[in-house]
Amino acid sequence: MGARDRIFGWVYVSPLLLVLVPFFVAPLLVVITASFLESDGFGGLIATPTLGNYVDIFTSLLTFNLYLETIKFTALTWFFSLIIGFWVAYFLVFHVRSPLLGIGFWTSNIIRMISWIPLLGKEGLINMSLIKAGVVHEPLEFLLFSSFSVVVAYVHQLTIFMVVPIFNAMARIDKRVVEAALDAGASRFDIVRLIVLPLSKNGIALGSIFVVSIVMGDFFVIKVMSGGGSASVVGALYEDVGVLQYPSAAASAVLLTIVVTLLVTAILRTVDVRKEIAR
Amino acid sequence: MTAADHAVRPGAVSKAMVAHAIAPRAGGRPWTFYVLLTVFVLYVLALYGPMICIYILSFQDVRGGLVFPIKGFSLHWFVDLFTQVRTGDVKGSFDRSVKLAAIVTVITVVVSFLAGMAFRRRFRGDGIVFYLMIGSLVAPGLVLSIGVGLLMHFIGVEGRWYTTAVGAQLSWTLPFGVLVMFAVMSRFDRAWEEAAYDLGATRWQAIRLVVIPILAPGIVAVALFGFTLSYDEFARTLQTAGSLNTLPLEIWTITLNVTSPSLYALGTITTIVSFTIIVACLGSIALMQKRRASRVPAY
Amino acid sequence: MDLGPGHIELAGVVKSFDGFVNAVDGVNIKIPDGSYCCLLGPSGCGKTTILRMIAGHEDPTAGEILIGGENVVGLPPVARRTAMMFQSYALFPHLSVRDNVAFALRVRGISKAERHKASDAMMEKVQLTEFADRLPAQLSGGQQQRVALARAAITEPRVLLLDEPLSALDEHLRIQMRQELRYMQRELGITFVHVTHTQLEAIALADLVVVMEKGKIRQAGAARDVYASPKDRYVAEFLGGQNVLSGQVQTVNGHLAVVVAPAGTGITVPLTPGIHVDKGDSIAIAVRRDDVELVRPGAAAADGTASVPGRVTAIEYQGYFVKVMLDADGNQDFVVYVSERKFFGNPLGVGDAVLATWPVDVARLLH
Repeated sequence: MGARDRIFGWVYVSPLLLVLVPFFVAPLLVVITASFLESDGFGGLIATPTLGNYVDIFTSLLTFNLYLETIKFTALTWFFSLIIGFWVAYFLVFHVRSPLLGIGFWTSNIIRMISWIPLLGKEGLINMSLIKAGVVHEPLEFLLFSSFSVVVAYVHQLTIFMVVPIFNAMARIDKRVVEAALDAGASRFDIVRLIVLPLSKNGIALGSIFVVSIVMGDFFVIKVMSGGGSASVVGALYEDVGVLQYPSAAASAVLLTIVVTLLVTAILRTVDVRKEIAR
Repeated sequence: MTAADHAVRPGAVSKAMVAHAIAPRAGGRPWTFYVLLTVFVLYVLALYGPMICIYILSFQDVRGGLVFPIKGFSLHWFVDLFTQVRTGDVKGSFDRSVKLAAIVTVITVVVSFLAGMAFRRRFRGDGIVFYLMIGSLVAPGLVLSIGVGLLMHFIGVEGRWYTTAVGAQLSWTLPFGVLVMFAVMSRFDRAWEEAAYDLGATRWQAIRLVVIPILAPGIVAVALFGFTLSYDEFARTLQTAGSLNTLPLEIWTITLNVTSPSLYALGTITTIVSFTIIVACLGSIALMQKRRASRVPAY
Repeated sequence: MDLGPGHIELAGVVKSFDGFVNAVDGVNIKIPDGSYCCLLGPSGCGKTTILRMIAGHEDPTAGEILIGGENVVGLPPVARRTAMMFQSYALFPHLSVRDNVAFALRVRGISKAERHKASDAMMEKVQLTEFADRLPAQLSGGQQQRVALARAAITEPRVLLLDEPLSALDEHLRIQMRQELRYMQRELGITFVHVTHTQLEAIALADLVVVMEKGKIRQAGAARDVYASPKDRYVAEFLGGQNVLSGQVQTVNGHLAVVVAPAGTGITVPLTPGIHVDKGDSIAIAVRRDDVELVRPGAAAADGTASVPGRVTAIEYQGYFVKVMLDADGNQDFVVYVSERKFFGNPLGVGDAVLATWPVDVARLLH
């Protein structure tokens, strides 16, 4: 049975590779290659290898600032989505024992993002209610088109990516372990700190990978919600592509991919994700 | 009837006992429950609140603007959405999005299932395939999009929503699908499959009569995931769809140009569609689970 | 010579999963057609692997497996006319009892009407008819086992293989289901090969008990032979019911030997044909727990008995007998089964000094 199984393994996995190779591996290689070439100014590429694109990127202060900005948002989003996601999952697993339903993806990302505008705007619902209630006399400016709204939109969109893996990890904790701890006199906070948290590490890691990679790779949330006030790495990439500056875009893309890969690898090092998923 | 028939399978931990592991002995809920409940309620409100505003605002009167207060109720903006040329090709792009999502869903289900079956045993290179999958997941969508675009340019292939966009979207949905399949299959007892072989089933019969029916809820979950991810997908589709837009791309163009509540009307409609589809899927999962519900013999 | 369709022979069977350690290490055994055979041993001894190789779910690394005289190595399970009952029963959760039982017929393309008829007949045989439409999750452990049995038996196999079928049940049920298995085996008239780690289960059920350790067969034979006349130390200790004492041979005298235990007591024991001993050899002796009589020290030891002094360390009431555990001459595991009435006629207490005596003839030398 053994050898036959091995062949079947490859047969079964070939469709997956059939997609991944042309639509992931190949494009990545193309982008990497393009980053070492020159642009002819009209969207074409000249086949002369050069490190010029990379030199430009690394010596540009803009790059540094962009990454700073993007990483700032990534960190903030990660932090808040983790805190909210963790406690929501905890609540669902330990206090309600309900199975998690995949609700929430009912409408387009973009529209969901824009839906914050009537709430947060100067004439938005929140401001109007605050003024009516007399809490403030003037509408709060920072609510919309600011870093605040960017983080709000990200967290809004991505917390679910944290909740699901953490929920799964927590649901697998043997409740009898918790009972034993309670019997031994542990307080509920002790239990969270010493049992739940370590045992959900895998779920947290998986969720973090989703959140980090999505925020680092995003460009329209930040553009819209900051009102153009902030930029992101991918946003700049998008603009480069818009003016057909493929090589510099490619170099930027490669750098971004390396950074994201490093971040993800760092997270993967803290847990054995594969074991978490496959049995 | 022997006494054996009356006994319950030992070792079954009752659900109630498991659920109240955290509940205090003294009865009643701890104060932390209320705090967490508040957090949860706020989260759900924040999740749906803004969209509810949109739904309400889409019924805005002709004279009304993008924000509250509501000046009157009308279906004006819905009509506007479908008739005004400048609001873009909503119907067409919606059509395309649904068809594209359907194609992507079917392919995702089949390929994820096969990949899930493959990964049950170790095979040479399985680590590489796994990391390729994770890589495809975390790679910035726009980067891949550009890459595919360049590739198409050099090969001389035109981007089309029903070919190249399918592949680009699959690079995003397949990792998710396979990961879900992993989780589902880890709960699948291989003894069922072996029993099928033992009783004389061929490999294909075992898959058709045993594996797939038992995994069915998980497969539906993958389909659901796949459809949602495809329907919503933006970055990877951007450079690969060609000249005809999918709905997210169309919406993007609209948001850049249009500033009227017809946008909100669009949001309401897309929600209704997604909602219907998701309810149908969840309904079928629930139906399947009910058939398998375990009940202790009544006597 | 017609061995019968369900006659099983393993010849030189070896199985290695990783190329280093042999899970099954050169096994030779003949299982008669229509007999009930139990493979007995602790976890990891290879018994389940052997079962799976007979079934065809594993292939041996070396050796032959013959069923009904034909070598079946390389044949898929369905071609061997064997059927297996899995430890977890592996009932298909999405099919009703009737469909579970009829599954083997379905994959052979038999029409719905016909296979339901056959399934109903089989369910009748195992008294499951009223559960025909239920799902496995709605059945008790004992009922599930019967479904598993019916499902396997419907293919009219010549050999039925059972992988620890009673492990999932509680004590009371286990004893009850045991008899059902025996009954089914007699009814069907086919060979049963039953894997278990429970000694009492094996000796209660089996015509042939095969005791295994670390991939090898230590002893195979009728239940009584294995239990009452173990050949070596491992079998004696694993089956229970025996006390094993170690010592050195001091003298050999005709058909008797005197073995000296570490603490100095000399024990006279008859020589076993087939075991050659010389003075100075290290050897083990087995004495049945129910052959030992306990007397107060000071009472004279009767003629023709061997004895060992000891101190009572624990007493366990077991209903019709009392289990008295001694520290006998440095041997901590010395156990004596005293009939209940006898014990309470002159009860012992923990810490009492006693003399454990037995007729010389009942002790045996072990390999």
